Amino acid sequence: MNDLLAEFLRGYTANNQWAIIMPEIMLAVLALGLLGAEMVLPKKSHGLIPRLALWGQLFVLVVAMTAGSYIGFESKSYFSGMIYQTDITQFMRGFFLVCSILVCYLGHIYLSKQQLPKTEFYHLVIIISAAMMLLVQSSNFVMLFVALETVTVAFYVLVAYCRSSSLSLEAGLKYLVMGALSSSILLFGIVLLYGVAGNPELAFNSQDALNFDELRNFIALNSDNLLVRVGALLVIAGICFKIGAVPFQIWVPDVYQGSPTPVTAYLAVASKAAGFIVLLQLVTGPFMGLQGLLVPVLSFVAAATILFGNFAAVTQRNVKRLMGLSGIAHAGYILVGVIAAMRGVAWAPYAVIFYLVTYLLASFAVFGVMTHLAGSDDANQELDDYENLARKRPFLGGILACGLGSLAGIPPLGGFIGKLFLFVAAFQAELFGLLGISVLGVVISIYYYFGWVRECYFGNASDEVIHDVKAPFNMSDRVLLGALVVGTVIIGIVPAALPIIP
Amino acid sequence: MTVGLNAFLLVSGLLFAIGLLGVILRKNTLVIYMSLELMLNAVNLALVAFSRYNGTMDGNLFVFFIITVAAAEVALGLAIIVALFRRRQSVMVDQLNALSR
Amino acid sequence: MGHYDTTSLFLLAAILAPLIAGVILLFGGRFHINTLRAIGAFGFGWPLIIGLMLYSLFEPSLVGDYNFEMRMPTGLESIGIYLHLGLNGISMPLFLLAGTVGFAAGLYAMYSNAERLHLYLALLLFMLGGLMGTFASVDIFFFYFFHEFALIPTFIMIGIWGGAGRRSAAIEMTIYLTLGALLSLLGLIALYVQSGVDSFSLLELRQYLLAQPLSETVQNNIFALLLFGFGILVSLFPFHSWAPKGYAVAPSGAAMLHAGVLKKFGLYGLLQISAPLLPAGAAHWFPWIVGLALCNILFIGLVTMAQKDLKMMLGYSSVMHMGYAFLGIATFSIVGVGGALLMMVAHGLSVALLFMLSTCIYHRSQTFDLSKMGGLATKAPVLAAFFVAATMASIGLPGFGNFWGEFTIFAALAEVEKTRWIVAPAAIGIIISAIYGLRAVANIFFGQPKEEFEAQLNGGTIEDLKGFEKLPAGILIAALVIVGIFPRILSDDANRELAEIYPTVDTLPHHEVSAIPSKETHKEVSH
Repeated sequence: MNDLLAEFLRGYTANNQWAIIMPEIMLAVLALGLLGAEMVLPKKSHGLIPRLALWGQLFVLVVAMTAGSYIGFESKSYFSGMIYQTDITQFMRGFFLVCSILVCYLGHIYLSKQQLPKTEFYHLVIIISAAMMLLVQSSNFVMLFVALETVTVAFYVLVAYCRSSSLSLEAGLKYLVMGALSSSILLFGIVLLYGVAGNPELAFNSQDALNFDELRNFIALNSDNLLVRVGALLVIAGICFKIGAVPFQIWVPDVYQGSPTPVTAYLAVASKAAGFIVLLQLVTGPFMGLQGLLVPVLSFVAAATILFGNFAAVTQRNVKRLMGLSGIAHAGYILVGVIAAMRGVAWAPYAVIFYLVTYLLASFAVFGVMTHLAGSDDANQELDDYENLARKRPFLGGILACGLGSLAGIPPLGGFIGKLFLFVAAFQAELFGLLGISVLGVVISIYYYFGWVRECYFGNASDEVIHDVKAPFNMSDRVLLGALVVGTVIIGIVPAALPIIP
Repeated sequence: MTVGLNAFLLVSGLLFAIGLLGVILRKNTLVIYMSLELMLNAVNLALVAFSRYNGTMDGNLFVFFIITVAAAEVALGLAIIVALFRRRQSVMVDQLNALSR
Repeated sequence: MGHYDTTSLFLLAAILAPLIAGVILLFGGRFHINTLRAIGAFGFGWPLIIGLMLYSLFEPSLVGDYNFEMRMPTGLESIGIYLHLGLNGISMPLFLLAGTVGFAAGLYAMYSNAERLHLYLALLLFMLGGLMGTFASVDIFFFYFFHEFALIPTFIMIGIWGGAGRRSAAIEMTIYLTLGALLSLLGLIALYVQSGVDSFSLLELRQYLLAQPLSETVQNNIFALLLFGFGILVSLFPFHSWAPKGYAVAPSGAAMLHAGVLKKFGLYGLLQISAPLLPAGAAHWFPWIVGLALCNILFIGLVTMAQKDLKMMLGYSSVMHMGYAFLGIATFSIVGVGGALLMMVAHGLSVALLFMLSTCIYHRSQTFDLSKMGGLATKAPVLAAFFVAATMASIGLPGFGNFWGEFTIFAALAEVEKTRWIVAPAAIGIIISAIYGLRAVANIFFGQPKEEFEAQLNGGTIEDLKGFEKLPAGILIAALVIVGIFPRILSDDANRELAEIYPTVDTLPHHEVSAIPSKETHKEVSH
């Protein structure tokens, strides 16, 4: 033990590894600082706290982006194999930060309509952001578990944040039970892998059996071992809970509906993205040797996910459930990209990330509009509430139409290019069946996305109602929502604006 | 007589299965909650057994993290259940169906 | 940055001008009506002017290559996609068609009384920009991209400005056309992946695939994707039901541009991409194309005869005429495919004219119901003359472009033993179209008006065509007559190109289908 400690200290002084996770540390300090500020500041200057949260995160974003450039980033392992940084994890830092900034901004609008404690919301959002960054960088199952649980436990609170609403509490309870169940399943898988890979009686066993690299070597040579297979499947099942893939999708519509809208957006985009990056790293890392088992399983899951999400969304009238179910379908398309990556299409992970970015821009545009239109009870937004939106509030109508168009994959919006990349990757991986199902899914999705746009735009001129403006709509709201749409259009026309595909 | 690894794993597997069935079948949220804890403890048991058998300390270490996380989850879960009970006067899952309608 | 020259910048300008004008108009809610019209005139007129200019500069010696080429990276280079523009003998006529119909539709729309006119014009301009881009693309990805870009405004325009029943028509059209577009996208991606040239450029794909054709099964599969994908977009039987419903409720501008030009995208894709690159696939699916095309002609022809609503009738007739174009492509000969191309251009002009005139009729009669009109010619003789001319053109009377299209398709069919029998059923289609066309003319303009309509006629409110209606109609008629009298201004370049890109007979795996010696045709045309 002493040797280890000495070695650690020597490494620490020679090369300060803590600098490597500077953005995460800064976020944690910022989050704690917010709580401190609430105690210290007089009551009337509490309005500063959201600003502090936003500007603080913007500062961290600048630091994170300047610290290590994404292009040409050299992959390296830190903290004796706990953290492994790649260009993807470097990029995802920015991704999660942008998400949390947007969620804080939407949360500000949401909280102004509610009688709720405010500071804790920002605190939790920032903590989740930091934990997700660590989650995608982890290359050891202990690290992965701790980061994942930090994300999940904080999400339990956020989902049930609206304590005055029994819908929010119910959603919180459902998310809690399902989340804890999935964590247990994931854990059991990890334990099996640990037990087998460290077993001194098996060939190529490892002393560091929770490390991804060691596991990769072990599994590649023991891919027929039953416990290895069961363990890997359980781990994948645990991750599938997080990304809402069939058959672990049952919590999605209820939780999406009950949560405060900004939290729904956070769950839909950032939490799902984190799940996918982890899945991507697992299937191209430690579970690479299990291709023969995982490709058929995941293909089946992807097909079922696409079909379920789209068919269930068709009859949905509640817009938050609709976004949840259509999000399931999107998870299915992204899974196709993950499978392509597993089948050796080298650029498929980047296609997945590109898709996630387009999904971020489009989803936040839609959720932003939803947050603006929501009353104090935002769980019950129906499609009917959007009737004639384009006449009443043309700006929001336009933003919504562009966001939905991008989700549906219509050129020249970013979502189309995202789907194109996934389809090309799937073609190169020869996943023809999945391609057919994806196309079917996209066609079905046109029906409900278009139905939503239809509510906004195609109403009769006669039944015009004077709209009550529920939230003050100021310049910065316009700029933010407008920027999301402009970003979507730009990467739809010139994908080079987003240099992800190498 | 020494108790071998397989016995530990058997018990752990049984506990996990009982917990899983409890989560799926029981209607009382508190019981569901206990079942979830049972599953986590099944994992802990297996971890300790493997750790001892493999001769590495990682497993024992992992157990501490799991216990901590489980404690956080329980605290949160009970808070939510209590808050929900105040609003609905019930902790039975079949009555918690205000969503999805 | 990629490579380009001055003329290719004009090509780019023809795409960008309508788009820029459209973006400006999008925010033009408070503009004065004359400002709207000035911006609109710029956006609608520029592509036609550039089209005519480029036509005069067109260099026929560049057969097999593209005129006015430019190639720019947009960030998709890693999968072989560039913004690669250019025109060849096949795309030039359609480029001009898009410019002409776009200008006419724009002129008509600018003076219409549509609610939220700025949005209407903006969407029409987006459509036009997409269309110009589609036919100017060498890169098959951008070819698809621009098409989708032009398609979306159609749905929105039908949804907002459509007639009764627009909501269901818009959604049916959207779902059908998205399905068709996605199938063809899959086909194009399959072409890219299977060829392995790592490029979406039609030129590179062609060079490679003419030298090393794909295996027969692969060709059959990809061709099926493209045939049915494009087929849905062109309302190939039995995927046609969106077309009459959609056109019946579509506002005039959307109907003119969609039926006239955008629908030709599928046929253009078939004759420029699928057939030359996948000859074995085309041969394999030959019986299907012929069978379905004959269904289009005969079955839909009979359905058209049964229509009582003028716009439904026009919608069905446009479905029916697509059958001829499919037959022309199925012959796989230079004459037949060239005929299909002429047919596409002439049909685009005539159907746009008919849709526009039907709206003019509606403004006077307040109905599309054929059985409720009559005697309109007494009050509106010029409208009657235009409508009669347009009907004659669409039937295929000599002197109009449609005649040459149908004639050459028939000639190509008759030339080969195997396809000779098709001439008879196809000719019946001409008779059918004459019956319903002339009956519509008689019902609307001549004979004794129905009682209610007579009161309207005598009320004195009905006027003849006004200037803003005459001008676009005149442009379209003039174009039809020019193509009808001098078809060679378009067909010479087209046939030269077709002779170059279609594989010669002896390299074909299934050469019984295309027994026409294309070398000879080549000489015939170019001398």
